[in-house]
Amino acid sequence: MSERVVISPTSRQEGHAELVMEVDDEGIVTKGRYFSITPVRGLEKMLTGKAPESAPVYAQRICGVCPIPHTLASAEAMDDSLGIEIPKAARQLRELTLAAHHINSHAIHQFLIAPDVVPDDLMVTAINSVSEIRKTVQMVVDIVAGEGIHPSDIRIGGMASNISEVARKRLYARCKQLKPKLDAHVELIIGLVADKGFPEGLGVTNAPTLATDILYGNRENFDLDRFTEIMPESWFDDPEIAKRACSTVPLYDGRNVEVGPRARLATYGDFKERGVVAQHVARALEMKTALSKIIDTLAELDTSAPVMADFDIRGTNKLGVGAIEGPRGMDVHMAQVANGKTQFYSCLVPTTWNIPTMGIATEGFHHEFGPHVIRAYDPCLSCATHMIVIDDEDRSILKDEMVRI
Amino acid sequence: MVLGTYKEVVAARSTDKQIQKIAQDGGIVSGLFCYALDEGLIDGAVVAGPTDVMWKPEPMVAMSSDEILAAAGTKYTFSPNVWMLKQAVRQYGLEKVGTVAIPCQSMGIRKMQSYPFGVRFLADKIALTLGIFCMENFPYESLRTFISEKAGVDFDLVEKMDIGKGKFWIETADQTLTIPLKETHGYEQNGCKVCLDYVCELADVSTGSVGTPDGWSTVFVRTDAGETVFKQAVEAGLIETKSMDDVKPGLGLLEKLATDKKTKAMKVIDERKAMGLPVPYKGSSEKEDPLANI
Repeated sequence: MSERVVISPTSRQEGHAELVMEVDDEGIVTKGRYFSITPVRGLEKMLTGKAPESAPVYAQRICGVCPIPHTLASAEAMDDSLGIEIPKAARQLRELTLAAHHINSHAIHQFLIAPDVVPDDLMVTAINSVSEIRKTVQMVVDIVAGEGIHPSDIRIGGMASNISEVARKRLYARCKQLKPKLDAHVELIIGLVADKGFPEGLGVTNAPTLATDILYGNRENFDLDRFTEIMPESWFDDPEIAKRACSTVPLYDGRNVEVGPRARLATYGDFKERGVVAQHVARALEMKTALSKIIDTLAELDTSAPVMADFDIRGTNKLGVGAIEGPRGMDVHMAQVANGKTQFYSCLVPTTWNIPTMGIATEGFHHEFGPHVIRAYDPCLSCATHMIVIDDEDRSILKDEMVRI
Repeated sequence: MVLGTYKEVVAARSTDKQIQKIAQDGGIVSGLFCYALDEGLIDGAVVAGPTDVMWKPEPMVAMSSDEILAAAGTKYTFSPNVWMLKQAVRQYGLEKVGTVAIPCQSMGIRKMQSYPFGVRFLADKIALTLGIFCMENFPYESLRTFISEKAGVDFDLVEKMDIGKGKFWIETADQTLTIPLKETHGYEQNGCKVCLDYVCELADVSTGSVGTPDGWSTVFVRTDAGETVFKQAVEAGLIETKSMDDVKPGLGLLEKLATDKKTKAMKVIDERKAMGLPVPYKGSSEKEDPLANI
């Protein structure tokens, strides 16, 4: 006899989603479906027809959890569409911003999973550790990108300004000081996740991993031809769920994929493990990679170098792609600019890629582990929710049951 | 209290000969900033720096005594220092920022610190606000117009400007000209007409020439932060002080001028309120003390 366990909304994640699990008599999940029920943002439609400079400003407001990858992906997409080669120092500043954000965002996730893995007597230690790390890395974002949450200084063509030499030295010293603390933190988290004793094989799927770079993102490694997007109706076998799901299902080579820290480490490193524990470990290890990247970049940065390229804002209608590795996975923005206005804009965001995989990942274990599997992906749904209303070909309305804007 | 709250008021001047030579009056702002920078009490200050255009200041982040001294002296037109504060803590990476402000700017800074909307992690990094007395401020074009038309002197030749004894003083290399202050009325910024603050009541330390003899400044020490810096600078021998009772014309003149400014502004506020115009202050009937700066 099959029974249905529904968790709605799933907790300790950004946005609202529903986890529907079919379970057998023993409570083992036989079929898992995870889908977003977050209302539509519709930013892509808002951007169409606006000046290209608006794109990073709007796109970063998709969500306050990872605004930095969105800003960067948006600026990179515009750079690509307008044929801009940004100066070296600008690229370094962007890399600094993203690496610092990786650490910050991973630390927030570790705070969210703390009730799952941290015993009561270590809770204060773990939370203080998270806070201290965030304080330092957010300072990097504040100074380098102008604003900690919605960075104002990441611009099309580079960055608004370089940082001062005093700021560079100060950040370098702070990040060096952070290193032993971060190492201890990573060790603590990996240890606690291991101590939790998740069952062997929890969350393992056959989904291939998709990543464009080890940390920053590289548009060369994202092949648009291998990407397809299908409607929830074609993916979910339950029509009721398909009707309520708010996001499209992106496929790469026709398959659902996994993106995120584990995917990056598996694609560009020799990380072999799969499943929930592996995801937590990969995320923690990535904090170390990011911090050493910050320290190296700060050591090399020339604070007197130019950070803004010359460019023609009118555009040639080239399809620009910006691929950024966000904390939760690959974030691709696509943009076309012609006559000085954005003609087309689209965001392919990390959690959208993970959504079809996450449901499947809960299968084969007791449904009580379901939320742990979901949280291991660190889903963030605001940006993953898309308008799927109009057919691009004939502009006819395909589906308008969701939200009308 | 027309002079705001303060812990102490003294007549003071910088003992540094170089500062005395270039400063407007007693060199208090330059002296205190140089001291605070050298002692690490602040790691930079947003000041009204010089530009290519004479007498048109622009905010700059000074991180050494030399840069502070390059910005010494009063400019009678606006330098939007508050605007630069964010850059000082972001791109410049400062954590203890000092700034010099006229009353309206110090009001803005205090308001920003109370409601840090859009200025995350900035409010707590403002370590020292030095205020300067201000009766009114002239837009750059106003200043240029009345100096070249009323005083008949080329703007570029002006070496120093000052306000005192009811006159606007203009010094060039070979002559000293004056314009009666009455004739400058109408050239000031519109906001000055409703401003209730003469002696920068919200700064940590506020200073100006009025009340003390030439070469000296009146200094109000208002907050703990201001007291710390000022006392240390006096103890270090960088600033010498005299009691206000021993100098002419003394606090009486300041009280008179502050009362005049407030009374005049209150009248304008009440008039504007009666017309239904938006004014960022309470009308005289809405507050206990009509001369309070609220």
